[in-house]
Amino acid sequence: MAPTCRAPARARRFFCSMSLQVCMGRRLSSFLLIAALACASLPTAAAPPPARKAAPAARQPTAPARDGQAENRLIEAYRLVGQGRRREALAHTERLVRDYPQFQLAQLLYGDLLATQVRPGKAVPGRPEASAPALNELQQEAQLRLQALRERPPPGTVPAQFLALAPSARHAIAVDTSRARLYLFENGPHGPQLVADYYVSVGKQGVEKAAEGDMRTPLGVYFIGSNLDPKSLKDFYGAGALTLNYPNPYDLRRGKTGSGIWVHGTPPEQFARAPQATDGCVAMANTDLARLLRTVEVRSTPVVIARQLQWVAPQSLQAERQAFTSQLQAWQQAKRSGDLQRLLAFYASDFASYDKSLADWTPVLQREVHKLQGRNFALKDLSYLRWSDSADTMVVTFGEVAEGARTGPVKRQYWLRQGGGAWKIFFEGVIG
Amino acid sequence: MPSRPTLSHALRLLALAAALAAALPARADDYTDVSQLVRNGKLADALTKAEQYLATKPRDPQMRFLKGVIQTESGKTGDAIQTFTRLTEDYPELPEPYNNLAVLYAGQNQYDKARTALEMAIRTNPSYATAHENLGDVYARLAGQAYSKALQLDSGNAAVAPKLGLIRDMFTPAQAATKGAKPAPAAAPATPAAPAPAPAAAPAAPPASAPAPAKAPEPAAKPAPAAEPVAPTPATALAPTAAAPNPAEKDVEAAVNAWAHAWAAKDMAAYLGAYGKDFDAPGKLSRKDWEKQRRDRIVGKASISVKLSNLSIKVDGNKAEARFRQDYKADALSVSSRKTLHLVKTGERWLIVKESTGA
Repeated sequence: MAPTCRAPARARRFFCSMSLQVCMGRRLSSFLLIAALACASLPTAAAPPPARKAAPAARQPTAPARDGQAENRLIEAYRLVGQGRRREALAHTERLVRDYPQFQLAQLLYGDLLATQVRPGKAVPGRPEASAPALNELQQEAQLRLQALRERPPPGTVPAQFLALAPSARHAIAVDTSRARLYLFENGPHGPQLVADYYVSVGKQGVEKAAEGDMRTPLGVYFIGSNLDPKSLKDFYGAGALTLNYPNPYDLRRGKTGSGIWVHGTPPEQFARAPQATDGCVAMANTDLARLLRTVEVRSTPVVIARQLQWVAPQSLQAERQAFTSQLQAWQQAKRSGDLQRLLAFYASDFASYDKSLADWTPVLQREVHKLQGRNFALKDLSYLRWSDSADTMVVTFGEVAEGARTGPVKRQYWLRQGGGAWKIFFEGVIG
Repeated sequence: MPSRPTLSHALRLLALAAALAAALPARADDYTDVSQLVRNGKLADALTKAEQYLATKPRDPQMRFLKGVIQTESGKTGDAIQTFTRLTEDYPELPEPYNNLAVLYAGQNQYDKARTALEMAIRTNPSYATAHENLGDVYARLAGQAYSKALQLDSGNAAVAPKLGLIRDMFTPAQAATKGAKPAPAAAPATPAAPAPAPAAAPAAPPASAPAPAKAPEPAAKPAPAAEPVAPTPATALAPTAAAPNPAEKDVEAAVNAWAHAWAAKDMAAYLGAYGKDFDAPGKLSRKDWEKQRRDRIVGKASISVKLSNLSIKVDGNKAEARFRQDYKADALSVSSRKTLHLVKTGERWLIVKESTGA
């Protein structure tokens, strides 16, 4: 495979254009100020991310392997700084960098806190210039982490894209690139519940991937394809990688190119990467990724990547869900009726299933209709994922099980809302 | 302040008032001898002598400390670390061994260990200026390392290990703990290596010199019996600049030399008499208290040597300023410092009205 996200052999190269500058004068680190200010408004309850299913109470006092833990500890250190408790902050940060020596943001804070212990007028070797690019990236990372923790999704809400998740889908993922944050949901009888969220890095050139090599992260509705064995990967990808199905049928319809967009870990020398650092992949700390690798299911787990997630109460999606359900039922009726022309009315004229046009696809539909012979069929495990940008689309997945049969193919359709408000199918395929 | 600018790079050698003499009068000569050998670069001889001594008194902290210094100077870092580590185990209340351990660790770029050792030194003696100073350097290095890691720079090429201040002699904690206000005292640095150590430098400005009793520079003393012709022969020491100094300068020079002589000879009447009644006694001491302090510090010494060099004199009417380098030795202590005396002509005599250490 040739992933877009194939990265330079050493992530470090990214930083190497910077030269080491030694600042002789003593100035209060601008970063420290930012952190202090940011924390002043950080609600005390914000830092601990959402309660997550506690792993069986294995007490590991110094186990640094818990997802999200490093960030929690960093935020706690910021809070101590914000409260003027620098001694405690220093001790706290010292333990943090001992457990996570590759956590650059923690090292930066540690350096700042140590530097405050140095007599004024004495040089701190290696102190970066305020304008150093790598320093700016770290400051952005800090801002993004703090912002994501300060501005939490309202409790009980879900991303508006999650119109309906299949009961069989145990998990779902949403990424808000404006916040550099990945949200992990557990799906259950009460719908998706947010269980964890993590800082992530996206493409060097930002988002909205359009072409191969543009170093952007795609926006849209994707699904995890496979969980790549880390042993088969370079160290660069860290704990492992989950592949995404970019370009999806909607991307292809719009002529987007490129491939190999993954959610992967970080190289051994970096705990986390800069907010915009990848060639288009979503990269996250290995400890955080490890949780995803352990919990999510390939093929059924959706990954919505949006510039800005819109968080809504699940009930507010009810009307829209029902409206679309009616639409889908109409298609179901048409298919069952055996009237091919009536069924074809649901398909867009520029329909394309991979390399098949609507003309190519018509015989396929005809065979399916014939096979049904008027029997009814059920749509099991329905999921609707809505994606709106310049157009309104719906990604629909279901198992099509004919009356009397025990199983049936899993199908996916992409619907596009037409000018008049009617929905038409522009892609249909069997995915399992 | 000549010695400070290079703090992080130059070896900051702080010789602290040795004066263990009071506690162990009988041993003073042995310590002095070993210290002397170290100063003269005769490290092997010094080590032999120290070992001989330790053969009979294996636990003696002062000599073990000197042994550690010798090992440090000889580049036997591992041995020195072991010596100082054992000292900290046997005498956890002494800050100096911790400080020197830190110096050794820092020399190996082991800043975390250096930091821990210095924090221990400060815990045992919170006003320990040398340790504070060294800790500042270590924090700076640790910060630099953290920044390098933060920015993913190669720290390998970063920097030469800093030279922290090594303590050459121990002094008793009691002495160190003097007045809290002036941290300076503790650190009376005599940097043998560096040319002009400004001992009391950092701290208070002018009067600093005199005050720092325990530590400081001012010694006075009588010519060490044996060797060095202590008597600062003015001629040698003072050779003023040009050929023909004017008469006033000559008088000032004579007064300064007489003062040094009296100090070294422990001639308290002559020594105290060299100070005018307007003398600005350091540390806000009354004249009486100051005189008592000087007596206590001078009379108790077994031997004192004061040598002056690089003397320069400026005379302006009835005022004069004499600047020179003062090499002071008293028992095991050896301090080299810059000193300035301000004198005023009173009648026919030039009397000291202000005494300051540092550049």
